[in-house]
Amino acid sequence: MGRRRRRRRVDPADAARALPEAIAALSQTLPAGPSPETFRRAKFDRPEAAPAFWRLLFCVLSPQPPNGASASFSPEAQVRSVKLALRTQGYPRRALAQLPDDGSQGGRELLLALAWLLAREPLPERLLAQNRVQLGDEMHVCECEALASPGPPAPSVEADGCVDIRHLQWLMGKLRFRWRNLMASQQEQCALLGKIHSYTRGCHSDRSLGHLSVTETELLRDPEGGRQLLRRLQRENARLQAALEWRRRELVFWQWMDTVLDACPPEASQPTFLPRIPTPGAGALEPLVRELQALQGELREAVEARREAWEAGVGGRGPEWSAVRTALREAVGQDLAALRRACERSGSLAQPHGPRRLVRTEAGAPRGPGLRAPEVIEALRSREAHLEVVLRRLQGQCRQELARLVGALPGLVWILPPGR
Amino acid sequence: MLLAGSSRRLVAELRDALDSCAERQRQLERSLRVSRRLLRAWEPAETLAPEPTPGPETNEEAPSAACAPSPQDLKELELLTQALEKAVRVRKGISKAGEGDKAPSLKFGSIATSPATRASAPPSTSRRAGSRASETEPPRGIRQTRVPAKDLPEHRLLSVGDQACMGQGAGATKPESGLRNEQIVLSAASQAPEAFTLKDKGILLQLPEAFRKASSRNSRLWAQLSSTQTSDSVDAATTAKMQFLQKMQTTSGWPGSRLSATEVEAEVRHLQKACLLLRLRMGEELTADPKDWMQEYRCLLTLEELQAIVGQCLHRLRELCTVVEQQLGPWPEGRFPRASLPCGGEADPIWSPQLLLYSSTQELQTLASLRLRVAMLHQQIYLEKVLMAELLPLVSKQEPLGPPWLALCRAVHSLLCEGGQRFLTILREDKPAD
Repeated sequence: MGRRRRRRRVDPADAARALPEAIAALSQTLPAGPSPETFRRAKFDRPEAAPAFWRLLFCVLSPQPPNGASASFSPEAQVRSVKLALRTQGYPRRALAQLPDDGSQGGRELLLALAWLLAREPLPERLLAQNRVQLGDEMHVCECEALASPGPPAPSVEADGCVDIRHLQWLMGKLRFRWRNLMASQQEQCALLGKIHSYTRGCHSDRSLGHLSVTETELLRDPEGGRQLLRRLQRENARLQAALEWRRRELVFWQWMDTVLDACPPEASQPTFLPRIPTPGAGALEPLVRELQALQGELREAVEARREAWEAGVGGRGPEWSAVRTALREAVGQDLAALRRACERSGSLAQPHGPRRLVRTEAGAPRGPGLRAPEVIEALRSREAHLEVVLRRLQGQCRQELARLVGALPGLVWILPPGR
Repeated sequence: MLLAGSSRRLVAELRDALDSCAERQRQLERSLRVSRRLLRAWEPAETLAPEPTPGPETNEEAPSAACAPSPQDLKELELLTQALEKAVRVRKGISKAGEGDKAPSLKFGSIATSPATRASAPPSTSRRAGSRASETEPPRGIRQTRVPAKDLPEHRLLSVGDQACMGQGAGATKPESGLRNEQIVLSAASQAPEAFTLKDKGILLQLPEAFRKASSRNSRLWAQLSSTQTSDSVDAATTAKMQFLQKMQTTSGWPGSRLSATEVEAEVRHLQKACLLLRLRMGEELTADPKDWMQEYRCLLTLEELQAIVGQCLHRLRELCTVVEQQLGPWPEGRFPRASLPCGGEADPIWSPQLLLYSSTQELQTLASLRLRVAMLHQQIYLEKVLMAELLPLVSKQEPLGPPWLALCRAVHSLLCEGGQRFLTILREDKPAD
């Protein structure tokens, strides 16, 4: 009543715009994102929407950066790759596997698949982080990227399967040589980095960084490259902006996806046959089973031995003993709590993870944010020591085993190499 | 000393290891090339090449650096040259030794005026379009830094310093590029370029304006992205997502809570990690020397607790084996993902890179070499296990105990026990001929 009209909470025009805007933000932040109109067509399973979504899912799911890789894949190969990737990740709907390989159908199912991926993890952020423009000199402090992954396994060359052990020795020697080269190159690279960082100290506009990185210096040396870098940076900024936009607006997308799911015919509940996907078979888990069993065996021996010694010993008697025992049990429980957590199913690692930008500071400079090299060095040293222990133990096992195997032979003298 | 068919796996594993080393080496070589080039004198090679420019600016650009500068430019050049000469004189007086004859010819980026004489040679430093001969120092173009005592007093910098003689052609002051202002001024004057070296003049560099803006915007956006993970409106979306996933699951017709192959793989890797941690802990306990009976008992309790944890891990692993057998197919290759430990830290990803601070080159080298060493040890341990699994059975299986078998033993011993680096010697005791 009065002059004020009853105001609706949401202006319908705004509401109508919210969804396309949300989808527009989403598709801008994803690589090869289709237009909002394509999304709408996909909801109604229109065939013209399918190819765009196959492409999108391929870009999103394939491990390589989506620049040149997609060119080498035919559309059928892309479709198969998408299906495999989704199934490997556990996509729950069978309808996807039943879509034809020529990529002509399936808009709605693919839309559901995209939404499924988006719901399970922060997909736009992860994709952006993977293809991030690297402005600094970066080093990983965790062990993930210490060795580049070799890529798909090369087909075995030896057709006949017989190999001289000397070939193995030669390969091992070659490997050692490559490691030495790596070490030397790495040392040189660090020396050069140190120089570049110190020569450009004070040049960076960001005070917390202080000096230029190789990338930044390179862009000064080579303006054309610098322009390309700038363009990439600006593109990334646009995608970041779109991702933030998406995060603000995504609720309306999920409400809409609900309707999409409702529009699907219900799936038949009897299990249909699905092609097997290559996964680590149970046989491939055997080595780990054996290792754990071996560990269990060793622990059992150790525990039995010590318990016997304990029972036979003098400690642990008397009325106050049970209180002491309880206290000790608690202490041990607390001690091992972190280890237990790390071993349990969803244990996360406390170590720092991810790439870090290298920044050279003066030794006495005030503490800024960031990890300090001496701490990382400490952690790595203890890691190294542990691993060496493990390796020595394995080698010792081998030595014992070999000694056992050959020990029965009379008339031979085995002289071990010096320098133990 | 031929080995049987299972050696294919050995060769494949070794080849994999070699390939990953080679890949790493390639990456390092690339970085080394770039870094070495940066530390050499920067080439003024583009002086002669015409700069390929995008359309609208073409008419403003001279095709090469050698085109005639305008009178205004010449005047500026004159002023700049004077400023340079003065700067060089001041520098010579301060720098430790005459490091070569720094001729007062124009060097790229070494246009510096001491704070006291800034008025005499106003460098035109602005990056904005059109404002070339400004009389005052625009705040951005020049870095005013308080001078560290041992450094050169002139930290002042011109925009020309950026480009370090790229010879781009006449510097049309496009606002967006900001990368080539006043090139004409310098490049025309740089008759005898004393090349720019990072060592001498690196501290005078400054990043171009457009880049700085883009880069700070970039870090701001990344920071925003990380922080939006924990805002309120996110919760509504999170709930909606959970509901959507559940609905997907229930409408799918498959039994719920199946483990996907990715999840199985991730869990197995996790258990591998756990196995290593447990073993390390066990090693610590076994080598510890208990001083009194309390410590002894504590050690016993710890070992028992470890045993329990191992039991649980084994149980979980067996469950996974069942899942794999029943639901997923066999893997054709029979090879399992790397034993190198990938990080599991996905709890709270921070998307933009954080910093790692080091204070000396020595430190950086130590850090890098330790990283490599740890990676190498991981690989060695993995290969050791593979070799053990394949070679030890061979030695035990072979019955003929003649020289070939001895040679095999020797080779296997070397590979397994000495990392392939040392060999043992086998002597045969002949019965005394009697």
